[in-house]
Parts: sequence; C-alpha cells; structure tokens
Amino acid sequence: KDKSAASKDSTPEGASKRQKDGAETPKQQLLDIIGNMKVEVSYRKKLQQLKASESKKQALNKPEGLDSEGSLPQGTTEDTQRGKPLNPELVKAASAVASSLPRNQKQTESELLAQLRRHEETTDKQKKGETINIRSVISEMTVKRQTPAQRSARTSGRMSFQLDEDGQRIRPGRSSAHSFDSRRNLKVGKRLNIFTKASTEPEHALKTVSSPTIWDLEFAKEVAAVTAQPPRNGFEEMIQWTKEGILWEFPIDNEVGMEDDAEFHEHIFLEKHLEGFPKEGPIRHFMELVICGLSKNPYLSVKQKVEHIEWFQKYFEEKKELLQEI
Amino acid sequence: MAAAALCWALRAARQVLPSPCPRQVRSYYVDWRMLRDAKRRKMAYEHADERLRINAIRKNSILPKELQEVADKEIAALPLDSCPVRIRNRCVLTSRPRGVKRRWRLSRIVFRHFADHAQMSGVQRAMW
Repeated sequence: KDKSAASKDSTPEGASKRQKDGAETPKQQLLDIIGNMKVEVSYRKKLQQLKASESKKQALNKPEGLDSEGSLPQGTTEDTQRGKPLNPELVKAASAVASSLPRNQKQTESELLAQLRRHEETTDKQKKGETINIRSVISEMTVKRQTPAQRSARTSGRMSFQLDEDGQRIRPGRSSAHSFDSRRNLKVGKRLNIFTKASTEPEHALKTVSSPTIWDLEFAKEVAAVTAQPPRNGFEEMIQWTKEGILWEFPIDNEVGMEDDAEFHEHIFLEKHLEGFPKEGPIRHFMELVICGLSKNPYLSVKQKVEHIEWFQKYFEEKKELLQEI
Repeated sequence: MAAAALCWALRAARQVLPSPCPRQVRSYYVDWRMLRDAKRRKMAYEHADERLRINAIRKNSILPKELQEVADKEIAALPLDSCPVRIRNRCVLTSRPRGVKRRWRLSRIVFRHFADHAQMSGVQRAMW
C-alpha cells in the first residue's frame, strides 16, 4: 500500500512531465513511455489485486454502474463549469496514468483531476487577488433602529397594560410596522457586490475624441498644478510621495512590476529550446547544465531564460568552424 | 530617509517635478570621480548578461580548451568599464571612497552628522 501511495505521489509530478512530452509526441508514444515506467509490483500481488478489483467491480457494478456513469459526465461538466477548464493534455495524461496503475482506475483519475483543479484554482486566486471586503460587509450591518411608532408602542405597553374586553393586549399595528421596516431595509443600501452579476453592460463608445490632444494634456497639467496645494501635514506628504512613486504602497506587495504570466512548466522544462544544438557531445552536455541551472532560477523571467539560450546558440554557430577543427 | 530621496534625485538628474511645492533636487554629481563611477555602473549593467555568459563558457571543465581560450580573448576585448570590479561604493553625498557603510551608502562622517541630528530613522547612540 505504501508503494502505491508513493507512486501516486510521484505520478502527479510525473503526469505534468508527461503532458509536456505529450505536447510534442502523439499519444501512442506517451502511453508507451508510461507503460515502461510502470510501478514494479510482484506478479503474485498483481494477480491478487486483479482478482480483488474484479470481485469488487462485479459486486459494486450494479449499484455503482449508474453512479460512475453519472459521475463521469458530471466530472466533465464540472471541468467546464469551473471557470477555467483543465488543459486537455493534462486530462489525457491523468487518464493514461490512471490506466497504468493496477487498481481502481476511475478513483485515481478523479483524484488526480481534483488535485490539478485545486492547483489551478489556487493559482487563479493568487493572480486575481480576490478577497471579500470585510469592511464593506460590516458597514452595511447597521444597528436596528426602532421607529418612533414602535418605541411609543413599547413604552405604552410597559406603562399600562391596555387590556381589551377579551383580556388581550392591544397591538397597535405592530405587524404592519415590522413588515414595512423589513421591506424598506431590503431594497435600501449600497450593494455589496459579493455575488457577481452575470450581466455585462455593453460599453458605449463614449470616447468620440480618439486621443486627447497635446493642448488638452497641457491644460490638464496646468489645472492640476494650480489646484495642488502643498501638503498640510505629514500624511498628505506621504500620500503625495506614494502617488509620485517615491514611497511604496503598504501592505507591501512583493510582486509589484513583476507580471510573469508564464506557467511553471514553461520555466522548468526548457529542453524544447535545445533543438538547435547537436544531440551529442560536450556542447550538449554544457547546454543541459545551463538548462538545469536556469530551471532552478526563480528570479529570471521566461523571456530572459530563452534569450540566454538563444545567445548560446548564436555563439556556438559562429564558432562552428573552430569547433570542427577540433 | 534623506539619503534614499537624494539617491533617487541623483539618478533622475534632470527630471522636473510636476508638483509646485519646492523640494531640494540635486542635478549635479558631487565630483568627476562620482560621475565616472556612475558611468561604470551603467556600463556594467549593460554588459552584465554578456559577461555572465562568456564566463560560463570559460569556467568550464566540459568544453574544449581552445573554445575557452577564444572566450578569454573575447571577454578581454570588452570595454574596461564594463566589469563590475571597477565599481567603488562611494558615499552618496560626499563621494568619499573610504569609510562608507553599505546599508546607508553614506560615509562615516555624514552618517554621524545625520544621526546626531536625529535624522536617521532607528539609529541611536550606543551605550551599554
């Protein structure tokens, strides 16, 4: 069981690697590679597992048959429903990996897909930086204020128990006041925008002027210069500095000015850039070391890494004659 | 901090601030040696990538030696000011080459001056 667990841990990482290979080679080769990299389980264990899985399948086939069929289309719709659909290559790789493992194909496949989905969600969330503004929520939670009618009713109720002939207390239209209040509170107030609206208003072409002219810019600058008062206190000075860019914005965002839209596999798997180099020899060895170092470097962008590799390519091409003499 | 603000002003030497409120902007370097140091820093930044790559070829035990000798000659052919070793961390305000603390980029005399006038954030006279 430990072996299978360890293999499961390695397969999500392996799956991402294989999906990268699958991008280049057809699916057949991908499956061959996975078939070669199968977990080495002893023959007896394999037989036992096969027998167990067969018995399980036969036992649970009837009640689970419907469930599994229902879950698969549900799974696919879930994939498409969750904002960003998973990479089809990743899905293929996951299914291929699941088929290579000895038992419970569908379960492993669904587990792998769920892990990938979670990974995508966290990266998306971090990219967008969505947080529910607690302040706006709390600001709307006002203290319930009694209407004067209610207040008078309550005080009157306390002062003298007005009893009807029947012995019941007079309720001077309390229910109507309550309903009126709730109706008023429902539609009054600023929208919190927690639940996103599906409707997107069509942006009208308001900009009849295509681009502001230089004179407009100059006028705007003049107006800003005239209206800008010198800062009255330290806070306003700091605000001005933040606007000019002298002072950083707090809380400090570590990724200001660094917009790397590349996925992790573009940073790590740089072998596809090595196509221009000879397949054997010291140069290939050297370039593989270079790629290993670049893949571990978190400070460079993908563009910079590619530029490094291309420079080396140009350099070695220029020195081709020299290299052939050697 | 005063030093950081003036550093920024030094780098953007001829920028005119849009706001009308007067602020001290230094538009000249303290002396010629500081200007030459600034030029060297600029050149080192421009050639940094190239130098890194050529050095990667040179400091190698895999590539053939002839290639490394060629790389040696190439890196020697680059302009002298492009090597980072020639940069000297001078004091930002007085251009003093010695006695400069890296954290504040100030010479010891200027540092003491500002610290005594309580213009250095978080700096206090030691007493124990």
